[in-house]
Amino acid sequence: MKTNSLWKDAFIRLSKDKLALVSLIIVLTYFFVAILSALGLIASNWSQEVGASNLAPSMEHFFGTDIFGRSVLLKVIRGTQVAMSVGVAASIIAIPIGVLLGALAGYFGGWIDDFVTWLYTTFSSVPNIMLLISITLILGKGIFAVYIALGATSWVTLCRLIRGEVMKHKEREYVQAAGAIGGGHFRKLFRHILPNVSHIIIINTSMQFQIAIKSEVILSYLGLGVQGEPSWGTMIDDAKLELVRGVWWQLAGATVAMFFILLAFNILSDALRDALDPKLKGK
Amino acid sequence: MTTPLLSVRDLVVEFQTGDGIVRAVNNVSFDIPLGKTIGIVGESGSGKSVTSLAVMGLLQKPAAVVPQGQILFNGLDLLTCNESKMRELRGNQISMIFQEPMTSLNPVFKVGEQIAEALRIHKKLSQKEAWEKAVHLMNQVGIPNPALSAHKFPHEMSGGQKQRVMIAMAISCEPKLLIADEPTTALDVTIQKQVLELLHKLQQEYRMSMMFITHDLGVIGDIADDVVVMYRSNVVEQNNAQKIFESATHPYTKGLLACRPKLGANPRRLLTVSDFMTEEGKEKVIPVDRVQVFDKESVADKTDHVLLEVKNLVTQFPIKGGLFGGTVDHFKAVNDVSFKIKKGKTLGLVGESGCGKTTLGRSILRLVEPASGNIIYDGKDITHVKHEELRQLRKKMQIIFQDPYSSLNPRMTIADILVEPLIIHNEGGTKAQRFEMARALIEKVGLKSNQMNRYPHEFSGGQRQRICIARALMLRPEFVICDESVSALDVSIQAQVLNLLLDLQEEFGLTYVFISHDLSVVNFIADEVGVMYAGKIIEMDKASNIYKGAKEEYTRTLLSAIPRGETKQSLASLV
Repeated sequence: MKTNSLWKDAFIRLSKDKLALVSLIIVLTYFFVAILSALGLIASNWSQEVGASNLAPSMEHFFGTDIFGRSVLLKVIRGTQVAMSVGVAASIIAIPIGVLLGALAGYFGGWIDDFVTWLYTTFSSVPNIMLLISITLILGKGIFAVYIALGATSWVTLCRLIRGEVMKHKEREYVQAAGAIGGGHFRKLFRHILPNVSHIIIINTSMQFQIAIKSEVILSYLGLGVQGEPSWGTMIDDAKLELVRGVWWQLAGATVAMFFILLAFNILSDALRDALDPKLKGK
Repeated sequence: MTTPLLSVRDLVVEFQTGDGIVRAVNNVSFDIPLGKTIGIVGESGSGKSVTSLAVMGLLQKPAAVVPQGQILFNGLDLLTCNESKMRELRGNQISMIFQEPMTSLNPVFKVGEQIAEALRIHKKLSQKEAWEKAVHLMNQVGIPNPALSAHKFPHEMSGGQKQRVMIAMAISCEPKLLIADEPTTALDVTIQKQVLELLHKLQQEYRMSMMFITHDLGVIGDIADDVVVMYRSNVVEQNNAQKIFESATHPYTKGLLACRPKLGANPRRLLTVSDFMTEEGKEKVIPVDRVQVFDKESVADKTDHVLLEVKNLVTQFPIKGGLFGGTVDHFKAVNDVSFKIKKGKTLGLVGESGCGKTTLGRSILRLVEPASGNIIYDGKDITHVKHEELRQLRKKMQIIFQDPYSSLNPRMTIADILVEPLIIHNEGGTKAQRFEMARALIEKVGLKSNQMNRYPHEFSGGQRQRICIARALMLRPEFVICDESVSALDVSIQAQVLNLLLDLQEEFGLTYVFISHDLSVVNFIADEVGVMYAGKIIEMDKASNIYKGAKEEYTRTLLSAIPRGETKQSLASLV
């Protein structure tokens, strides 16, 4: 007889939550669109003129056209690719740093803990947007600088959460039991404690992802983000001059695209926490 | 005949779960007359706590449904009352004491304020009056220096004191009915006795009715007038307490009465519920040799080989203080302890929480580093061995922890948990051979091998403890420390696990150090008993000698605190 692990149980619980499922589908759709765009299968011809300048939305051009007669829909899709790539890149940088530092600090304590705590308090004492701006200024404008800047700031929350949770778990008897059968620090930390705190990584990544998207929009709006590529941030920046002339569709396209992905990530984060948190489950 | 204060009629409670409807309480009926105490006895999952929650109107809706039944309180059907009416009754006319005093008090408020709160809500007392009444109540429940203690926060009090505060809160509005849900299970035996006496005294003084829920029939004998025995959601027996103890009719009740180890003579293996009844609930005939009293000392020592010797062991923890948080002093958790254990024997260590018995166990295994003294295992001093030698030692010395819920990794299957020790020590050959070893052992501890792909959360407390035992035995150790290994279990399950430990000891020739706060358990399983107090072993002797003629006053206090499993009437008749 094979029964379910806690992970599988969590997935079953998640799949019963209709709203979360819809959110998950939205998130996956955005990823799908971003991947297709990155592979050049769609929206690769975004820079071509498709009609007259500043056409209002119609059946032919769903989101209308911009000042150069380019399709706003294709620009939104291109912007999706930028936004999602920033979220993924920031996670790829932040997760290993946050988990490793948090786990080591929580497990070993002592001077390692002192050092890691000092490091993340230093990082978190600088306002995030200031840090982002200074990193992009040092590394030069462009998407790569945005990746690095967001990765370097978003590990802090994860690190702090993992540290606290590891400290709690290392006192548990199952970890002591692993010591009693002869297991070393490496086994106790990576085989026993980490799988029991890994739900935090998933929940936190889901929350950090939308923060990364928002930060990218802000940086691009300020002109520090992607160069020569459409991004939701640059589209909003363009729109501020167009609005007075009644051209609202470029702003609408970017904000609607942003709205759905951020809402979906928020709902999904809550649902993941409900489904994954072992405390909400009876013994 | 007078109408009872509380009358539960044909109560049915069902829970809607993912796997369909589960009936937790099935057609339960009982009465609690005015000023009397009813004991509700049953193992975990028998429906006793759900019954009490139904009376309090605290069932988790909408998961719980009550399709049938009545709960009449003074003639009023509580099931028909709305939430605001129930809130009026709750804490005022009906109040409740919970099992876990550590988590039932709010840690950020002074205990005096917490007692006063109920008085302000229900009795509309002013701040000052409520505080004075709270101090008076704390005096009544026997908290020393109540005027000062009322200003304390929960973490500044001991477990027994917190439970007294809970009782003071429960009786503050002079309720007519007091529901006590396992109020003493989390406490040491000596504290348990004091709390039971206090509850009985207060019940008499306030002329309250009391509903006392417990898994241990022995506890209830001292205070209950009537006893209701619940088994698998049903009431199986209901009678006057004296009759239950003298002439129980249902085999389950008989099993419950027999499974608690007695202080004096015990059979070779404890009787369990399964000796009295079959799976289907039919009565069984018990073979005569199962009940014969067994004298441990009649068995001659097979060997004089001393497996473990502890000499003048001291383990201490630093006390931090001062401006820069430096170490200002040391607290000696284990203070100059010495003993010897022969191979194949069991040494019992008893004492109350905080006496250092757990630290002693962990120091022997070197999970905690001792400060001074020597641990000599099989003729070799292991006090300072390191790395590879220590790892080799782990194969021979094992530990079984107290809490079966937190000592298994929830993300690993049973098979993975059992095979892990073999992987660490690179033993047991191929993957298939290792799995086969785990399978053989899991059957030996009384579980089914087709459950090995399951995860710990799907097992009950008793089953989990069996898994912990199997894990400890995977490396074929010679020496096992059982640290309160049966304390978290229901008495009926406790007997099964104790029997299992004895069976395994015989089969594998194991040597045990058995740590517990319960002298009756230690007396049953151990050959020699050491009584610990404040880090020292104050008395050490053969188990039967401790029981017959304890030399120390403290040991006699521990002995007298053990519930006798008799009624108050039969006690009175002895005087």
